[in-house]
Amino acid sequence: MKQTARIISIHAADTSGVCSMLYELGGMVVVHDASGCNSTYSTHDEPRWYRQDSMIYISALTETDAILGNDEKLIADIAAAAKDLSPNFIAVCGAPVPLLAGTDFPAIAAEIEARTGIPAFGLHTSGMHSYLAGASEALEAVVSHFCTEALPRTDAPSANIIGATPLDFSVNGAVESVIGWLKKSGFELVSCMAMGSTLDDIRRASAAHVNLVVSSCGIAAAELLRKRFGTPWIAGVPVGEKFSARLASALKTAAASGGCALTCAERDASAPGRKLAIPGEAVFSGSLAAAIEADLGTPCRVLCPLEAEDRLLAPGDLRIFDEDAASAAFAEASGVIADPMYAPVCPPDVPFFRLPHEAFSGRCYRKESLNLIDHPLPWRF
Amino acid sequence: MLKLAFYGKGGIGKSTTVSNLASAFAADGLKVMQIGCDPKADSTASLHGGTRIRSILDLVRERNNDFTLDEMVRVGDGGVLCVEAGGPTPGLGCAGRGIIAALEKLQEKGAYDVYKPDVVLYDVLGDVVCGGFSMPMRKGYADRVFILTSGETMSVYAAANIAMAVRNFRGRGYASLGGFILNRRNAPDEDEKAAKLAADFDSAIVGALDWSETVQQAERLGRTAVHAFPESPMAAQYRTLAEAVLAAAKKGDAPC
Repeated sequence: MKQTARIISIHAADTSGVCSMLYELGGMVVVHDASGCNSTYSTHDEPRWYRQDSMIYISALTETDAILGNDEKLIADIAAAAKDLSPNFIAVCGAPVPLLAGTDFPAIAAEIEARTGIPAFGLHTSGMHSYLAGASEALEAVVSHFCTEALPRTDAPSANIIGATPLDFSVNGAVESVIGWLKKSGFELVSCMAMGSTLDDIRRASAAHVNLVVSSCGIAAAELLRKRFGTPWIAGVPVGEKFSARLASALKTAAASGGCALTCAERDASAPGRKLAIPGEAVFSGSLAAAIEADLGTPCRVLCPLEAEDRLLAPGDLRIFDEDAASAAFAEASGVIADPMYAPVCPPDVPFFRLPHEAFSGRCYRKESLNLIDHPLPWRF
Repeated sequence: MLKLAFYGKGGIGKSTTVSNLASAFAADGLKVMQIGCDPKADSTASLHGGTRIRSILDLVRERNNDFTLDEMVRVGDGGVLCVEAGGPTPGLGCAGRGIIAALEKLQEKGAYDVYKPDVVLYDVLGDVVCGGFSMPMRKGYADRVFILTSGETMSVYAAANIAMAVRNFRGRGYASLGGFILNRRNAPDEDEKAAKLAADFDSAIVGALDWSETVQQAERLGRTAVHAFPESPMAAQYRTLAEAVLAAAKKGDAPC
């Protein structure tokens, strides 16, 4: 069946992406949705919920509020809560019901900002897109509001990490490993957007020489920083020995020349023959494919089930819009590296290697999650 | 690019007035885009010989997203670029959400960037009955709202409701009130009632139109009066109104 998931999961929605990206920045995030839905965004999809405080709220939208267009109640509730919480910013976003009611979140945010004096922005989430769309818009809004001053570049080479959330990297030390790898590669960290850094760190982003985009949800923010401050960006995740070295070299070249590069997509999967299939987010999966090809000599193909610009995919990579397409692509593969929830649609004669992806299976396989950054690849094919 | 939205009670003559204004602007050398925001999809009929063009939501219904910008934007009399948002099957779906989807689709396909019209006219269904019908006055769409009214009580009442909505949206960065347009129906004390309405909102009557058989004749021909009878006194009234609307739209933010 087209565009249907009968057996496997679907990816976390845009609202989860917003909550995840903004979780650590001291802002107040309000999802305009029915009471109870907060557990989806903040528990099932959020490994930090029980150990790190955040100001993520649900508006408890009722049928009456939706019918009557009670925007004033939402605005007044947020303004009252903000008075007590003094957040760094207020982000307000929607879910399917506000989508149907046509709620204008940027306009509501403008009213909240006028009443509270706290920077506020409205985001266009609706639950109809993947976490990448929400995370991307949320981070772009943060950069747009708070990275406004062109600071002098740091004396030593430096970088921001852009697009890191537990939805792609879990909380297993992977992001800390990227930071450690950056340092080993000769770059100081200015900020990590948005894990392990504060909003003040992010305000200083313009001081970096180069940006490392680790998920496609970071590209819009990286592009904004390039337009504002001329900071070049490189897309890729340091996995495997040889690909990590290539990525470090690309970062140095970019910092020196000012040119951007999609290192994760500098591959070619168009040659005939069975390949290892890697479904997932384009920047990470592309990087992993490049790393496996370089270190282990196994040809790979990325299967992209999420929103991704064409330029993030290499020749021969494939977009898969439903589980039938995934299953068909797996049947042609020499093996599959994927979240365990893909296993039921993988033919039994095709080897399946488990690599949990929080955005796909939430907390189900969190204990199995792998930190592949700066570690030898754990597979032999 | 000047973007203007026209609201008013159903049947007050919005589509007729907006189409005549479009004809007047176009005759004056401006590139005009008229966007009908009404599920009936008949705003631009008098710029197309009385026939309806295919609406955006018709295209979405038939082809999902597989259609081009020039299928959404049809060129009518005088070179006016005509668009109809369209709506759901009568009695089903959500017309307001339909307006939002249609206007977003128009923007997504780059209508304003590709055609670069000098003036965009949004002809909006009756009252601001739900969020969808405030879409044309939202940030990024119209800059000014003009409200049509006659001196009839229900028309004045509807106009006041719309003006109140514009006032309520002041903090949201929405379009501001450009003024009222009096479309005379020969009701008692018509001019006075309209003037009082405008004064209540610290605004003004930017222009007035007489009831005229010329307009009906033009409509029977499937044309605007400005296009079909350019020498008529009614066409002259529309041209005068067009100048006044432009002048009011270019003024600083209205107090409302």
